Amino acid sequence: MRYRLNVVEKSLRDQKWQIVGFGIAFLAMAALIVYIWPSYRTTVASIQLPEAVQALLGSDLAYSTAAGFVSAEYFSWIPILLIVYTVIQGTGAIAGEEGSGTIDLLMSQPLTRSGMVVQKTVAVCIGSALIAGFGFLGFLLSIPFVDIEITLKGAALASANMLPMALLYYAVSLWFGSVLPNRAYASGGAIALATAGYFFNTIASAVSSLSWFKYGSPFYYYGAGLPMVKGIDWSHVLLLLGVAALFVALTVRSFARRDITIGGASNLRLRDMLGRVLG
Amino acid sequence: MAPAIELRSVVKDYGRVRALRGINLTVEAGQVFGFLGPNGAGKTTTIRILLDLIRPTSGTAHVLGLDSQRESVEVRRRCGYLPGDLRMYEGMRGSAFLDLIDSFRPQKRDPQYRRELLERLELDPSMPIRALSKGNKQKMGLVQALMHRPDVLILDEPTSGLDPLVQQEVAKLLEEAVAGGRTVFFSSHVLPEVERLSHAVAIIREGTIAAVEDIARLKSRAVHVLEITFAEPPPAGLFALPGVRELHRDGNTVHIQALDGLDAAIKVIAAYHIVDLRTEQPSLEDFFLAHYSASAEEKDRDALPAERR
Repeated sequence: MRYRLNVVEKSLRDQKWQIVGFGIAFLAMAALIVYIWPSYRTTVASIQLPEAVQALLGSDLAYSTAAGFVSAEYFSWIPILLIVYTVIQGTGAIAGEEGSGTIDLLMSQPLTRSGMVVQKTVAVCIGSALIAGFGFLGFLLSIPFVDIEITLKGAALASANMLPMALLYYAVSLWFGSVLPNRAYASGGAIALATAGYFFNTIASAVSSLSWFKYGSPFYYYGAGLPMVKGIDWSHVLLLLGVAALFVALTVRSFARRDITIGGASNLRLRDMLGRVLG
Repeated sequence: MAPAIELRSVVKDYGRVRALRGINLTVEAGQVFGFLGPNGAGKTTTIRILLDLIRPTSGTAHVLGLDSQRESVEVRRRCGYLPGDLRMYEGMRGSAFLDLIDSFRPQKRDPQYRRELLERLELDPSMPIRALSKGNKQKMGLVQALMHRPDVLILDEPTSGLDPLVQQEVAKLLEEAVAGGRTVFFSSHVLPEVERLSHAVAIIREGTIAAVEDIARLKSRAVHVLEITFAEPPPAGLFALPGVRELHRDGNTVHIQALDGLDAAIKVIAAYHIVDLRTEQPSLEDFFLAHYSASAEEKDRDALPAERR
């Protein structure tokens, strides 16, 4: 049977306004940050941030440099928006379709469950790449016209570098949605993990005795704007993508084994939820 | 040829609740088969097992000889399915939704048949699905199930929410499908509907098949009640015929119940001046309700009539 990408197409069609909306936000923020740099340069040049504050910026790039400024003002926090998008898609892929009841008709088509999960994952990869690409478009429309010490290549690398972490949170939320077929619970779980990841990383940088915390946080492996200066750290990228792939695989496994619910699960007790999550 | 549907000892537990207690059912190809039972009897559970949307706790399900679980993609390719709780993508236009369903099917598209279905059911595909009434959504669900002419149609409560005229059209469509060699398996909790649409029926009760019957045979075994009004009081003992029972008299009007004695009764009254004659439509309702309540009392599963192969 020939392979079809109709679920990819349908998912992207459903997400188009989200992609455009997030994309415009990314584009506007990227361009804005670059355009305000020249007027900030002199102000921030003398700033020596306390270590604890620097730690909150997501990387050790000095705030007084152009890369540090763009990293702190854009790359340190904008991936959170990208994670919002991927978590919406991740919980929507299975839990959302079960909640709205459309999954019965979808899965009564000649489509395997793994095929469904893989196609939806491909759609999210494309969608997040488009959103990050919009952000790069913002750099493309600003960097050549502004006196700023970052290159388009650096901006492109750092933009692309957002994807592995965003996809990791997608995969986690997808998996939550497959073990807890309830979108609210799945979103709650994924957002809690994303928040924890962000704070683990910042706390670990700020408090030296807790510095080992950072190894548990995807935000550490992400590294904010570092790729602008140092290029992409492939070991980190592979680690993030590896964990993402693991969670997609776990999702395929748990979704393939269980019953499809109509209307999703509700009124799950905490004990049941933990039981499902821990397998 | 493999039966269209074959269920063997299918048990389904939801936690501690046993929804299906060993379903055995064979549906031969080329007929309209009704699956009758009250709400909560296990109709939807059985249907969703056929399409591998849910997995049986034990037992096997085959569609056209294909294992519902191991060969589920092929099963779904050859089935058209109307969910009992029909939910479609509300934001899509009807035509885009049908295109989407079409895109899953390797079968050659048949836009002409799809147009015909839309016309016969008087459904406008340019409307967004969210703007459709409940009845029109149901029609959309039927169109998507029928349009690629699947070998087996599995319809969960197909006429729910449809007005009687549309129900008639649906009945015709199902008849045509069967005439074309296909099989229709549909569930219902409305007895006259099953009687009207199907050739054979299985009755499910509390997760077991209580009976499997031929509709024609059932009808021939059905009870006919006649209300006859004579011009003059008829002689007493007029209906002392085998297979006929006089229920009561009310002046010139006599109520009789005929089992296999209908013909004899008609021939007797033909000699008299009849003012009015009413018959109660022989209905499965009484038959099954009697059957159903009788078997409901017997908790012992083995006491139920054996299923017919």
